[in-house]
Amino acid sequence: MLGVGHAGARGEWRAAAVEPVAGIASGRAPDTSPSPWPPPSAASRSRPATGTPTAGALSLDEVDAWAVLVAVDGIGPVTLAALLGALGSGRAVLSTAAGPAGPRRLAEAVAARGGRLDARLGRSIVDAAQQAPALVARVRALGIEVLTIESADYPGRLRLLDLPPPVLFVRGDIAAVNPARSVAVVGTRRATERGRRIAGAIGGALSTAGAVVVSGLAIGIDGAAHAAAVACGGRTVAVLGSGHQRLYPRAHAHLADQIVARGGAVVSEFAPDVGPVPGTFPRRNRVISGLADATVIVEARERSGALITASWTLEQGRECFVIPGPIDVEQSVGCNRLLRLYPGLARAVPGVAELLEDLGLVGTAAPAGADSRSLREGRAVGPDPEAILAGRGAAEAAVARVLLPRAATLDELVDATGFAPATILAVLTRLESDGLVVAALGRYGAGGALAATTPRRRPVRVARADVAAKSGE
Amino acid sequence: MLATVLAATLRGLEGRPVRVEVDVAPGLPGFTIVGLADAALRESRERVRGALRNSGFVHPPRRITVNLAPADVPKAGSALDLGIAIAILVGSEQVRPNGRWAMLGELGLGGEVRPVPGLLPMIVALARRGAGRVIVPADALDEARLVPGIEALPAASLGEAVELVRGRRVRGRGPITRAELIPDEAVVRVSPAPADDGWPDLADVRGQAEARRALEIAVAGGHALLMIGAPGSGKTLLARTIRGLLPPLDPAEAQEATVIASVAGEGPVRGFVTRRPFRAPHHTASYAALVGGGPRMSPGEVTRAHHGVLFLDELPEFDRAAREALRQPLEEGRIAIARAGGAVEMPARFQLVAAMNPCPCGWAADPSGRCTCPLGLPDRYAARISGPFRDRLDLWVGMPRVAPEALLAREDGEASAPVAARVAAVWAHQVDTRGRIAGRLTGRALRAACRLDSGAERAAIRLADAAGLTARATERLLRVSRTIADLDGAERVAVRHLEEAARYRVPATAAAAERAG
Repeated sequence: MLGVGHAGARGEWRAAAVEPVAGIASGRAPDTSPSPWPPPSAASRSRPATGTPTAGALSLDEVDAWAVLVAVDGIGPVTLAALLGALGSGRAVLSTAAGPAGPRRLAEAVAARGGRLDARLGRSIVDAAQQAPALVARVRALGIEVLTIESADYPGRLRLLDLPPPVLFVRGDIAAVNPARSVAVVGTRRATERGRRIAGAIGGALSTAGAVVVSGLAIGIDGAAHAAAVACGGRTVAVLGSGHQRLYPRAHAHLADQIVARGGAVVSEFAPDVGPVPGTFPRRNRVISGLADATVIVEARERSGALITASWTLEQGRECFVIPGPIDVEQSVGCNRLLRLYPGLARAVPGVAELLEDLGLVGTAAPAGADSRSLREGRAVGPDPEAILAGRGAAEAAVARVLLPRAATLDELVDATGFAPATILAVLTRLESDGLVVAALGRYGAGGALAATTPRRRPVRVARADVAAKSGE
Repeated sequence: MLATVLAATLRGLEGRPVRVEVDVAPGLPGFTIVGLADAALRESRERVRGALRNSGFVHPPRRITVNLAPADVPKAGSALDLGIAIAILVGSEQVRPNGRWAMLGELGLGGEVRPVPGLLPMIVALARRGAGRVIVPADALDEARLVPGIEALPAASLGEAVELVRGRRVRGRGPITRAELIPDEAVVRVSPAPADDGWPDLADVRGQAEARRALEIAVAGGHALLMIGAPGSGKTLLARTIRGLLPPLDPAEAQEATVIASVAGEGPVRGFVTRRPFRAPHHTASYAALVGGGPRMSPGEVTRAHHGVLFLDELPEFDRAAREALRQPLEEGRIAIARAGGAVEMPARFQLVAAMNPCPCGWAADPSGRCTCPLGLPDRYAARISGPFRDRLDLWVGMPRVAPEALLAREDGEASAPVAARVAAVWAHQVDTRGRIAGRLTGRALRAACRLDSGAERAAIRLADAAGLTARATERLLRVSRTIADLDGAERVAVRHLEEAARYRVPATAAAAERAG
């Protein structure tokens, strides 16, 4: 147990709160301290994938022991480091707990190193030790891979954080958490239609350029970014604010399955049965920004959780991009304020193409012949809508094209295409069953791969434009 | 002396003949009514006493016993007043009757004879019993004369009724009554249903092409329709245009509707009801108000909407029990009410049209993201509509808010008249070819009506699979596509009809936008 012994020897598990970036994340959990974890060593262990659970805590391997320990309510990175430092390994902690006078011996061991173990926490560890085989069996049955900070596959970007999460529960391809390029796209759950469209365009463009899209699987911006990446066949990583068994929001369970099916991963630092409680989400946000080279904030209200992600991003020394918005729209207040508070740190995004340029992703996968002008017009980034619509009937293509920049009602579709309402409704069903259109209460928007395209910039529509469009028919 | 007069009482929508037997006997003065009389009927003593005195007769200071036969049938209401008064006059030998008489009417203290609810079915019952003539309140003569095979003689007052019973024809009005000093309630309320003007025309609805289309399909096939949209998107306006789109009642339906109108007691009926009813109870309406009941087993909104439309605005705000009680009538076209006094069954074959906001604040799924409800609440709001209830709603349509400037820029929509003509044509076609409108097709009849060509069959299976439709929801899809095909003049249901029908299926709910990301 090279790594843990080292951590214990450094004795740095006692929390020394790091100042958050001023003014934004004042309310977050002070669970940060200089990293007690060593860099990964060649001796890092990984568990054989086909291991079968056996009875008794002592027969667990070390990775599982860590998983069992972090599942105990009250054990965070700091306490885990203290226990490992005191007893040498996770297995030793569990076997001590399972042995005679477990709680007392645990407390003594921690006290010997100058720490203190709460009596109730000691009893919880004893309980966990007894139920360990069942938990491990369940984790395997759920197809969840456990990565500890000692695993070779543990995301290198997270290792760079102060006090990274000691254990990650990963569903899907663990390679997705360690990609060449990864960009987080986050924003408010109460997104506007426009915000979701922008998030989709960014997710699609990043995916097409070969970057992994990291987000939080929340409804609103997060979901739109994930869905666009999935639709482009790209890899995307969803970081949960709860355990895998308590996936939140439930409405995105299907999206999570799709993410896994397309070679992405769903990640949580929480044990499978941890429920979604308010405190878990700021911690989740730290992992989101920590897994990415840069974070893009699409829409944030004045007190949005996305701002916490932004402050983690800056604190972690990663790049933070912000989509500016109209000053009279609630969902843009947080974004605009970030730009004002952190000039030079938070960077404004004038367009998807410029974002890719700034991220250095343009060269990676931009179609041949893309010049800077076409980039600026939003043509050459992301999937090509005409390619998606190739082979479709005239009515379908016409309707889909209207929906590319923004969602529309049947009235607007009739005005724009000239087709009869009944025809358009049938066309919408066809597009919807192919996943290219999403319908919500009489409004139809681009969906799937279409939502991942970059909409061309258009003049703002005003009432007079409507009149002109009508009279021009 | 014993005197007998024929009258009737009401149970549900049916009249039942009642023999009013009065014994005026020597003894301590008193006035007793026996025979399961309800509160209104027991108070009849006071009305009869006053009417007798103020019409120039004597309330005999003797022992008066009124028996209402058959004794085991509960009797309700004031329609027996006139019969009791005349029987007392005959029993106390103040009047010598010319033959046997049947009569119905409520008495005022001044002797006026007033209309009563349900006169029509009560007279029908008397006619079936073989009564050849019946004295009715003069104000309700039109209603009484709708019944063939029985002579209805009007009496505006007890005095006129006495003249009729004595065998003299009455001319002019009877003695001076309070009615001439203060306008009689019944006289004031003579105008029947509200005039047609005041009801909106489809031309008043701008935009909302999808909801207009769904409404036309719903009315053409008699399908249940649910409109979901933000406040001010025009749900209620659109629903109220339905009145102008419905085809007129056929004669058999008109008879039923007229009986219901008579029993509903909104003033005497002036003639056969020919327009389909449109009922819009408020969401605070009680269970009894919706399904019917009460001591007189009076018809509820579901029965008053028989052969017409029941519009429930703010559907989730209705009392859950009341809402769930609509399932039986939606399925069977009738409502059974069981109370302590016995069970009654009333017809209730209505088309349900409902409207709701997508969430309590009303703004879920608005592109502005301005919904202030806690996240997840819109889903729970929609979940107030139970699964079985959802299954009975054939068409769901979302109504996005139309921006005011877009509204002004838009021309008036198509007017009601051409839409009503299309609806009437489809309605007639459906009844001619299949015996019933598509909204009432089920099971084998539905499958026979919707025989699909192989392309459409595959499309239907694909659509049902893609949307994860249940068997019942698939049936709903077929029903709606049948009406769409009929509107299209197509004999067979084609793929495009199915595809359009699929637009109106269930979760156009608030959360859909969010789910889609």
